[in-house]
Amino acid sequence: MPNGKPLSKQRIEELETYIHISQNIVREAYRQFDPKDIRLVWSGHKDSTLTLWIWRETCKKYGFEMPRAVTIDEGDTFEEAEEFLAKMSKEWGIQLDVAKNEDVLRACNYTLGADVWIKDLNERNREEIKRIGFGDLERFPFEAESFIGNHLMKSVALNVYLEENDVKVIVQGLRWDEQPVRSDDPYFEKVEAQYLQPAQVRIRPILHIKERALWDIYHHWKLPFVSLYAQGYRSLGAKTTTQKMSDLPAWEQDLENTVERAGRRQDKEAAMARLRALGYM
Amino acid sequence: MKNVILLTIDTLRKDVLGCYGGGNLTPFLDSLQERSIRFTNAYSGGPYTQAGFPGILTSSYYLDFGRQRGKCPPQRVLVSEVLKKAGITTAAFHSNAYLCAFFGWNRGWDTFYDSMEANVDEKVPYIRAREINRKAAGWLEFHKERGGEKPFFLWVHYMDVHEPYVPERKYVDEVDPSIKLSEDEMFALFKNVVLKRDVSNKDTVELLRKLYLAHVREVDEAAAEFFEILQRLGYHDNSVVIITSDHGEEFGEHGGLSHDGKMYQELVNVPLIIYDPSLKKGVVSETVVSTLDVPPTITHLFGVAPSGAWQGQSLLPLEAYQPRGVYGESIDKQGSHEKGDEKEVHFYREGELKIIYRETDDSWELYDLGDDPEERNNIVDKTTVTEYMMKKVIPRVRRYERQQQ
Repeated sequence: MPNGKPLSKQRIEELETYIHISQNIVREAYRQFDPKDIRLVWSGHKDSTLTLWIWRETCKKYGFEMPRAVTIDEGDTFEEAEEFLAKMSKEWGIQLDVAKNEDVLRACNYTLGADVWIKDLNERNREEIKRIGFGDLERFPFEAESFIGNHLMKSVALNVYLEENDVKVIVQGLRWDEQPVRSDDPYFEKVEAQYLQPAQVRIRPILHIKERALWDIYHHWKLPFVSLYAQGYRSLGAKTTTQKMSDLPAWEQDLENTVERAGRRQDKEAAMARLRALGYM
Repeated sequence: MKNVILLTIDTLRKDVLGCYGGGNLTPFLDSLQERSIRFTNAYSGGPYTQAGFPGILTSSYYLDFGRQRGKCPPQRVLVSEVLKKAGITTAAFHSNAYLCAFFGWNRGWDTFYDSMEANVDEKVPYIRAREINRKAAGWLEFHKERGGEKPFFLWVHYMDVHEPYVPERKYVDEVDPSIKLSEDEMFALFKNVVLKRDVSNKDTVELLRKLYLAHVREVDEAAAEFFEILQRLGYHDNSVVIITSDHGEEFGEHGGLSHDGKMYQELVNVPLIIYDPSLKKGVVSETVVSTLDVPPTITHLFGVAPSGAWQGQSLLPLEAYQPRGVYGESIDKQGSHEKGDEKEVHFYREGELKIIYRETDDSWELYDLGDDPEERNNIVDKTTVTEYMMKKVIPRVRRYERQQQ
């Protein structure tokens, strides 16, 4: 058990309740949607793996058909996470697709930090860059978690996949306590179609599960996880921009008083916005 | 072994503290003096966060590694890195975007809170001191629960006196109840006067100064609250608390507002207090020291060797401190990074003399602070020591670029 202490009976019941709430959301999803229209977004990281596990347990319990899963390859992923996905999708019998913005990777010759010339990109990517307000740019360095990189490598890669495969529903492993912007996300959210973005329903079955409860569930039910969490990573993003928070395993860190995503690349835009508000720049 | 706590207050002028002759806005910080070593001639390595904090946390100067635009390159060795290697638990709680993980300041901390995930208001674009206290208290409780015997180094930083000056009503009333501005009006002053560095109306500048002082009141209360937390958790008597600031603030003294690249006393002569509850009586030191001396002082308190990369020396024991001149450097606000025409500003202080060099107009100023503490009377052409003082500064101008050639 985390911190060497076995969980109390009361705590286990609490965790069972959390899982039960999540399973009810999965059941509701099957009442509304055809599993063929659903994709679980699975990075192999702790939140999406818990989501997938709960989804799969619910399917087993109620005899539902397991939907396909999709992983986003942003071109800068931890090998440990890739290996974990390969191993677990086989073990759990998950049909896993990959969404990838190959065009951007080709344009930077598959090299992190190399410049991407916008004229070398396909029309869709050029249009996307314009849409997020960088129409006057000639080039940008390829980084998975820069503002442009994040948009092209994650949002666009996923949107294109959803369009091509006519996916109507995506399942996300988001949690309310992960970061303040998530704190009022709903379990079911219908997103209307916009320019370059397909209509979709987003289902988030584990919103209520806090980081501490997540690790308690992992340990009590012996769920597999990427080894990086045991080495001190609390939250995984792109490989080159994610740092360890500590040498302690994630679940032994001070989860309640520190920020889960602090080891992740801070959004440069957020830092810049703060500095502008203080009167700089 | 004692714990060490570094309490830094952004943008805090030395002369607003009661113990430095600044009236009665800071009764709590003043009350610490009976158990403190207080430095009256402590200098920051520069007049804004990016220029000052490399000294406080890495004992290095702003321009040692070229113009890093606030990024903390690996050549700078953070005090947290040295302590963590030595087995000391390290934790940081702050809300200054220039010191966030994105810029690389999170190295060596077991716990690093920079608040960058939080949503903030434009009138208060940071996490307030009270909330920083709450987070630090949570961490201290956590440390205690995990045994609590292992010594820790805790850095707590308050942003609350930094502009925009939109203090709470009760603090405004304590400073000057005749000020009846609404929050929106205070914020409008920030937009229309502070950001424009408009010092044309003396009354407005004085009004801004009073709003700033109201924030100083607020921070004094936050510091009192923090010490209560230490008392409550039993960490007061076994901790040394170092209190300082990264830079001051200008209210028209030298024609400007806020804190740009200037090197005058209101910006670079900062408060520096070492509070040790085991001291029998307060000590005041007039020795010229630098905030680059803070990291080696912290390692000294833990009995840990300082990093070889550090340029400061331990302030303790006080008798062993070797007095010498101190430097500071910045980039002049007039240049532009994009256009590549940024210019440097330097100062050097030794004894009572302070020399300032501005590359922008290749100008020198020399002040005798003993006679002229407000730096009104430039004596650069009137003294025989000018050349000596200039020679201290000249090798430092553009030194990084020259080293690269």
